[in-house]
Amino acid sequence: MKIAVCIKRVPEMDVTFKIAPTGKAVDETGLKWDMSDFDGYAVEAALQLTEKAGTGEVHVISLGPDVVQETLRKALSMGVAKAVQLKCDTVPFDAYAIGTALAAELKDGGYDLIMFGKMSIDGANGVTQFVVAELLGLPLVHACSKLEIADGKGSARREIEGGGELVSFALPAIVSIDEGIARPRYPSLKGIMAAKRKPLEVRPAQLGEVRLTVETMELPPPRAAGRIIGEGAAAVPELVALLQNEAKVL
Amino acid sequence: MSHVAFAFVLTLALAFFSYNAQRLVRYLRIGNGDVRLNDVPRRVWNLLVIGIAQTKILRDPVAGPLHAMVFWGFLVLQVGALEILVGGVIPGFSYAAILPAPLHWLFLISQELTAAAVLAAVAFLLHRRIVVRPKRLQGDGVHSGDAIFILGLIAGLMVTLLVTAAAERILGSGYPLVAQPVSAPLAAALGWLSPGAAHVVREVSWWLHALLILTFLNYLPYSKHLHVIVSLPNTFLSSTSGPGTVGAMKPMDLETEAEVFGAADVTHLSWKNLLDGYTCTECGRCTSVCPANLTGKLLSPRKIVVNTRQRLMEVAPALVGGDDVFGMPFIGASTGTAESTAAILEHRLLDNFITEEELWACTSCRACVYECPVSIDQLEIINELRRNLVLTESRFPEEILPAFEAMERNGSPWAFQPAERAKWAEGMDIPTMAEMQGRGERPDILFWVGCMGSFDDRAKKTTVAFSRILKAAGVRFAILGQEESCNGDPARRMGNEYLYQTLATQAIETLDRYEVATIVTSCPHCFHQIGNEFPQLGGNYEVIHHSTYIERLLADARVPLRTDEGEKLVMAYHDSCYLGRYNEVYDAPRQALKRALPVMTLVEAPRSRDKGLCCGAGGGRMWMEERVGERINVERKKEMLATGADVVAVACPFCMTMLADAGAKLGSTVPVYDIAEVVADRLADGH
Amino acid sequence: MPNVLVFAEARGGELRKVALEAVTAARRVADQVGGDVHVVLVGAPGIAGRASALAEYGADLVVVSEHPGFANYAPEATTAFVAERVKGGDYRAVIFSASQQGKDLAPRTAARLQQAIATDVTSFEVGADAVTVTHPGYTGKVVQTLRLVGTPAIVSLRPGAVSPVAKAGAGRTESVSPSMDPAAGRVVVTETILGDTKTLDLGEAPVIISGGRGLKAAEHFKLVEDLAAAFGNAAVGATRAVTDEGWRPHSDQIGQTGRLVSPDLYVALGISGAIQHLAGMRTSKCIVAINKDKEAPIFKVADYGIVGDVFDVVPALTAAVQQARQSSN
Repeated sequence: MKIAVCIKRVPEMDVTFKIAPTGKAVDETGLKWDMSDFDGYAVEAALQLTEKAGTGEVHVISLGPDVVQETLRKALSMGVAKAVQLKCDTVPFDAYAIGTALAAELKDGGYDLIMFGKMSIDGANGVTQFVVAELLGLPLVHACSKLEIADGKGSARREIEGGGELVSFALPAIVSIDEGIARPRYPSLKGIMAAKRKPLEVRPAQLGEVRLTVETMELPPPRAAGRIIGEGAAAVPELVALLQNEAKVL
Repeated sequence: MSHVAFAFVLTLALAFFSYNAQRLVRYLRIGNGDVRLNDVPRRVWNLLVIGIAQTKILRDPVAGPLHAMVFWGFLVLQVGALEILVGGVIPGFSYAAILPAPLHWLFLISQELTAAAVLAAVAFLLHRRIVVRPKRLQGDGVHSGDAIFILGLIAGLMVTLLVTAAAERILGSGYPLVAQPVSAPLAAALGWLSPGAAHVVREVSWWLHALLILTFLNYLPYSKHLHVIVSLPNTFLSSTSGPGTVGAMKPMDLETEAEVFGAADVTHLSWKNLLDGYTCTECGRCTSVCPANLTGKLLSPRKIVVNTRQRLMEVAPALVGGDDVFGMPFIGASTGTAESTAAILEHRLLDNFITEEELWACTSCRACVYECPVSIDQLEIINELRRNLVLTESRFPEEILPAFEAMERNGSPWAFQPAERAKWAEGMDIPTMAEMQGRGERPDILFWVGCMGSFDDRAKKTTVAFSRILKAAGVRFAILGQEESCNGDPARRMGNEYLYQTLATQAIETLDRYEVATIVTSCPHCFHQIGNEFPQLGGNYEVIHHSTYIERLLADARVPLRTDEGEKLVMAYHDSCYLGRYNEVYDAPRQALKRALPVMTLVEAPRSRDKGLCCGAGGGRMWMEERVGERINVERKKEMLATGADVVAVACPFCMTMLADAGAKLGSTVPVYDIAEVVADRLADGH
Repeated sequence: MPNVLVFAEARGGELRKVALEAVTAARRVADQVGGDVHVVLVGAPGIAGRASALAEYGADLVVVSEHPGFANYAPEATTAFVAERVKGGDYRAVIFSASQQGKDLAPRTAARLQQAIATDVTSFEVGADAVTVTHPGYTGKVVQTLRLVGTPAIVSLRPGAVSPVAKAGAGRTESVSPSMDPAAGRVVVTETILGDTKTLDLGEAPVIISGGRGLKAAEHFKLVEDLAAAFGNAAVGATRAVTDEGWRPHSDQIGQTGRLVSPDLYVALGISGAIQHLAGMRTSKCIVAINKDKEAPIFKVADYGIVGDVFDVVPALTAAVQQARQSSN
């Protein structure tokens, strides 16, 4: 079984971000980087599928400048067989541009399954996989929280508000992965060593048209310092009023 | 008496023993190499103090003296045994012929009194095994049969020794009464024997004695009493005690092309670990002090070592080589068919003998290692197996994954941002190393705060308290601030050597960049890691724990204290494992408390100092769930509370968290303070 | 005059609130560009009856497709239907909700139309030659203002970003059969399972009421459950201390070794705020803490705190919340 997973290098989210002087990006000073969370679940799900099938291999692809090789190597250390970097100076915001490049790379790969995380944790758009599916003419199931593949057929569960949908489809197909399927395995030392010797190919990215761009990035209004509004049950009416009018959560 | 017959028997016995000895040595060699001839003075010290003087054995007030008696007796009696064995071959050989009479009499007295004392000790020990049946002599598949048999053999040896001497006396050996204080009365009691009968008695008794010696010798390889031969060498070869650094985890080279990192089977352990397996006397002292075992977890340090030996015995015959005479199956074990050999080779120490559950239950408190009378390092085996689980097999409790990830990304085992690290110092006017370097200054000491002290709200109070003390004493100190990053100790304890080396190397780079020489830290784990283990990676610094440093400052009267008497508090100090057993710092924290608050009364928990019970957080367990049995921290807190103390004092942020949590769980209002807080509370106004 | 197309989501024969949000947004744009609001609605036979509700919120034309195959969501057929409608008309913008269904349908449709799309927007402005949207990213820590070109401009709206406003539209309806047999898609929804609506999943619930050791005993967790019920859209969480005691199942544990949650409102009752717990809920939009220890670390992260005994405060809060919700319904 041949699976390709498209992954993105994103900053570690558990920090307080600052905006870069250009106002169009986050300040990268001191940021740590890793594979986007949902992409990690997808890579793990892919590895588990090939391991369960007993045969096959997983490839990963990422778009961006040379720094993304670090993230590709992490995937290799998890057990992925081959990595491809589609090289470009900056990653465009427009999923259509990215999807076009990915589709060109994936077209002749002969993949049974192409996997994505349901959305990248930084841009949070969740669109790229749809572009690739359309361009390659493949069926797509989006945001799977459960996935099973057998005999060239797939069944998945998607979460909806208050429940789920069961979906069936046939391979070859594209799926995007939600939380709940798998937690990415911790690379063993052996995996880390082996990753250094696995193939990592670099090709220029054939980006598509860019029609969605970033005008500005801003920090949301700062979280006002919390306050103790009172003591005992007497403070309850004010709390409720604040929740209704200030926080607007009631 | 037939000397020829005896020579024949002796030759057979020695040959058989020699065969077994070589076989056991061959088995050891399936383990990896290990350097054990460094630091010879310390090894000799251990041999004399722990081995010959039996200091660890004597920690048990009942079994200790009894065993020491048997051991010292054994040493003394060897002199006599030599006479017997040589005399059995060479007619007429006897010490009487070589030694001047008074010395010979001394020799005789020594043998007889020793034999009587040993006999008495054996009687008590048999009573212990058969009637008393103490808890630690059960469990882990050990049974007293082996011990009772050996005690019987020893009793037989003592009796036959005395009976031989008595029969010889009846036959006219002619030594003065005073030289045969035991056999003389015995001879008198047997006086009714005719000379012929006495001769028979003497021959039988002598042969029995000699045969018992040879039986004893050849039984040893099949018994836990192999320790009779290997425990002194093992004590010499162990690095677990003695003056100097102990408790450092084994260094590990990660650059190799090994298939396995750490150990999954006995072939991945070192020959020294395997020798530990031979040495184990199954006494159970280690397990009896294990905090995990005491609170109902599956872990038993004795079982770890016994399993190591069992696995070695199981697989070594198959590994030493098919046509190797030493590959003969262990007599008594099953003679392997091709299938069962394959099954044996498929087995391994991990999973088939020692389970993950046992390995992760360990808090690395070192009580087992400290207690072992024959210097076995149970913890090293546990750590090597953990390393394999994490590095080779990526198998570990899922709840520690966030800790690994956080260390990798944020440089601390929690999801705190590096930028928040020095927030506790705001408004305190404490310079960072960078600031000092910018001004062209150097501090006297670097205060290494540690991750707990930087991020944990409760531990931050200790950090602030210690800073106040340093300032009050006029110490020029600096912190690394946001440049401080985890030294990797939790990762190392949890078996993740790769992550550890990455973090430690970074920390060393930072420290070296600032040419740091002296470090003071309030966390015993940081203290141990930076002081004792960083040298493995090239980081060499003088590291002092804050309790020691505070005590010195107080002793030098450099800390301005309040002049009022203060509260007459009763305080119980809880020894941190990494400060206490690992680094033998017991007095400084206690002294510091006393100096700061002279009117206080110090009470000791029943298990304190080197017998102190762990708080349960070590070995990475701070980040793991405790799902089985009673909580270790609750067990310890109960003990501390039972002292009736007003205050529980600690010198470690992890102990602080564990004991405070346990206190909350028990509904106790007894506060837990770090000694720095107690001292800071006594600072004169204005500090 | 360009019109605005909007997709109205329905489930089980009923319109979902997000449909009305989308129509309201569409109405605003249509008024601005001087066009009509066309609403696409698909569903099992009978769905056409909902058209009038759409008209109340601004639909000028409701294009309905009724087919048994639309009883469950049919991704490809619905996409084909919407896409064809777009191609066959002159639309300035196409608006979807970024609900779970919309997160599938909207990008699918955009890709079919070979257009870019701005998803999950919290606001948008239609300009002469571009549409400007705001879209949160980086787990809500950064607000991204994006510029979208192309016609039609396709956006999906974050649920709750727009409140439905009643404004009557012309309300004509047109019944059209689906161009593609809904059952013939390559991706088939075989079953829609609606879970127990009483117990919301911690990952989904907009409100989480969480209890800690301060509640003292398992039976006191009823206070937590009552407050959650009062909110109506709340799930119940717990700290490690509580799950260790066995008062709540481990799956309820919020914290570093449990669930990581980010609800709109997190109410911490009798929780001290140990690091491990904070790690699990710090990114909640609004945090309320009730604890009798004013030094408790939880107050450092709480937006609003009440120092008091949970046994006094929580029943009062429950009553107050119930009242507030009743009066707003």
